[in-house]
Order: sequence, then structure tokens, then C-alpha cells
Amino acid sequence: METYQIYSLTSAVLFVIGIGGVFISRHFIKKIIATIIMGGGVFLSFVSFADRDALAFADPVPHALVITGIVVAVASAAFALALARRIYQLTEEESFTNDK
Amino acid sequence: MSVLIDILLAILVIYLALQSLLAPRLSQSVFLFFAFGLALALAWVRLGAVDVAITEAAIASGFLGVLFLDALRDFSPRSSEEQKNISTVQNSRSRNSVKSLLLPRLSLVLGLGLFLLIALEAVWNIPDGGGLAADAEKLLPQSGVEHPVTAVLINFRAYDTWLEIGVILLGLLAVFAVGKIQIYRKPIPVVDDILLRQVILFFTPVLFLFGAFLLYFGKTGPGGAFQAAVLWGAIGILLHLGGRPIFLLIPRWLGQLLLTLGLLFFLILGFLFIAGGATLFEYPPAYAGVLILIVETLAAISIAAALTAMFANLNQMKKEESNKIDSTN
Repeated sequence: METYQIYSLTSAVLFVIGIGGVFISRHFIKKIIATIIMGGGVFLSFVSFADRDALAFADPVPHALVITGIVVAVASAAFALALARRIYQLTEEESFTNDK
Repeated sequence: MSVLIDILLAILVIYLALQSLLAPRLSQSVFLFFAFGLALALAWVRLGAVDVAITEAAIASGFLGVLFLDALRDFSPRSSEEQKNISTVQNSRSRNSVKSLLLPRLSLVLGLGLFLLIALEAVWNIPDGGGLAADAEKLLPQSGVEHPVTAVLINFRAYDTWLEIGVILLGLLAVFAVGKIQIYRKPIPVVDDILLRQVILFFTPVLFLFGAFLLYFGKTGPGGAFQAAVLWGAIGILLHLGGRPIFLLIPRWLGQLLLTLGLLFFLILGFLFIAGGATLFEYPPAYAGVLILIVETLAAISIAAALTAMFANLNQMKKEESNKIDSTN
């Protein structure tokens, strides 16, 4: 079994864990963490295929895309966190509830 | 032997991801998320992506972890007792309506299982396209740098990087908009703590030098604008925690200039290239090395400023303060 195969399978598992977390977890912070884990799965699959296509060095284009992607994911997570904290300030709710 | 390490690391990453979502307490979640980011960084080193590993460890695990920790202080005052009450209420409610909840839960589990199979099949059978490594290798001598990832980031796909700096700025503006900008402008009392002051005095030059090293080293090896930006952003966060919020100490126009410097310089450079007869971000090979270093430095300054401002603004979103403002209105 090649190295990239192990990590590409891991990436699929991570993505599904993240999706499940977005649905199942209740608290805002856990939902944000779940989206970051989903993103981690996507980035891991990119980098594992960069490793597969390596010649003298690993394919640099997916690496560059993943670096940009990580920074953008962090910026959006920071925005999500700001929204979550604002919701908590205004309503004292820590998760989405339907009973109102 | 190396396969064994990879399998163990893969299991560790999956375990930490699961645990950070399933942990009963929020603080456990956040710390397991830290560990998850670092384990993922190790996985990237195993895959030969050292640049990505540094970025992951620094920003996705470090910076985001700091933001989560800061948010914990906001969320966790609600005692665990109260949370227990809520969960027992939810339990009793779910016991009453266990039949109505069974179907959605069953379908969710089945759907996720099916999705997992599809995803595994997809990554297992992904067609071999050959990638772009050969093209990058061929064009590397013209790019002005020796490290392929930096060449792709700042030269071959400069458009992406430029827009990404814009996305960070947009994220910062969104955080400002949500978090009430006037709270951020309010000066906070200066903390006079000898230990904290010594830590700041020691770490500020170290972080600055290490960031500058990573920035310059990006020309020949792993490193570059983003990694340097996070280290410089850490200086801003450290100073903020030490009671010296950098955006209150410098004039407002200077802060705005720092935030937009990278984006503006990139844009002006692109238009100069167009005016000179080339396409957008087509560096002349003779000056490419110098231009890339300038672009990277300014981009790093802008990203560091944006990260600092994001943290400072989120840090000011305390519950008490907003309550005070609401009650005075």
C-alpha cells in the first residue's frame, strides 16, 4: 500500500466525520470545528494526490492551492465565530433551537 | 515500517477528529482540535508538503485554536450544571418523541455510511491525470525563485494569492461588521505584569526574526509569506494580550494602510505589468526574484495586520460590555 493511498482514504473518512459533525453536534463551536475537519479532509486528498504525481518534487500546484485554502478557511471560521458570539450575546443561545 | 507509521498517524488523525466532535465538554473539544491540527501537520510532512505543514500548524491549529480558546471564555461561564439540566430536558423530550426521532437519525446514519462508501470509492479510483509537476519544473528557472511552491503561489498563480489576500480582508470587514466596531476602538486598561512584560520582551524579537527568516527562506525552501504572516500576527496578538493593542497605539490611517498594503501593491504591480505590455502578474524574468520578495513582504505585513485585527476584535466581544451598552441605550 502506497503512502498516498493511506492518506487519501483517511481524507474521505475525515470529510464524512466533518459532515456528520455539522449535522449532529449542537454547539456553534463544535459545528465550526466540524467544518474545519471537513476542509482538512479535502486538503488531505489534494496533497495526497500531489504526492502521487510527484516527479523530481511533489506537484506544487495542489500545495499552493491548499495553503491558500487553509488561510481562507481560517478567515471564514473567524467570521463564523464572530457570528456565533454575537448570537450568544444577543440571545444567550449556544446552539440552533427550534422550540420558539 | 514507514507504512506502519502512516497507518498509525492516519488512525490518530481520525481518532482525534472524532473525539474533538464527541467530547462532552467544549474545552476538551477545543484542545483535541489543537491536537488534531498538529497531527494533520505531521501527516503533511509525511506526504512531503512541508509548506502546508507549517501553514497548518501555525494558522489552522495555532491561530484558530487561539480564537476558539478566546471564545471559550465567552461561552463557558454557563455552568456545567445548567448544561446538564438542558441535556436532561432534551433527553426526556427525546424519550417522549423517540419514535419521531428514530427515522431522521436512522436515515442520517445510513446516509453518512453510504456517503462514506462513495467517498472512499471516489478517492480510491481517482484517475491519474499526471498533474502539473512537469510543467512547473520546466518553468521554474523563469520564475525568479528556486522553491516550486513559492513559484506557484506568487508567480504562476499570483491571481489566486492576490484574491486570497482580498478574502482575508473581506473576512476582517465581516468580523468588524458583526462585532460592533466601536467596542474595538475603546482603549482597554494596561496590564502591568512583570512576567507578561518579560515574555513579550523576549518573544517579540524572536518571532519577528523567525518570521523574517521564513519569508526570505521561502525563495529556496519551505516557507513564505503566509507562514511569516502568522508569526508576525502572533506578535500583534501577544502585544494585545499584554495591554498594548497595536491598532490603538498607531494612527488610524496607518492601521488602514497596513491592512490594505499587500492587496494594493499587488494590484498596482499587476496594472504596471499590463501597462508594460505583459499580462496581469506576468513578471519579467530578470526582476522576478526581487519583485516576488517585495510582494511577499508586503503581503505578509497585510495578512499579519489582518490576523491581529481579527483577534483584537473578537477578543473585545465580551458579553458584559455589550450588556452595558444595551442597558445604557
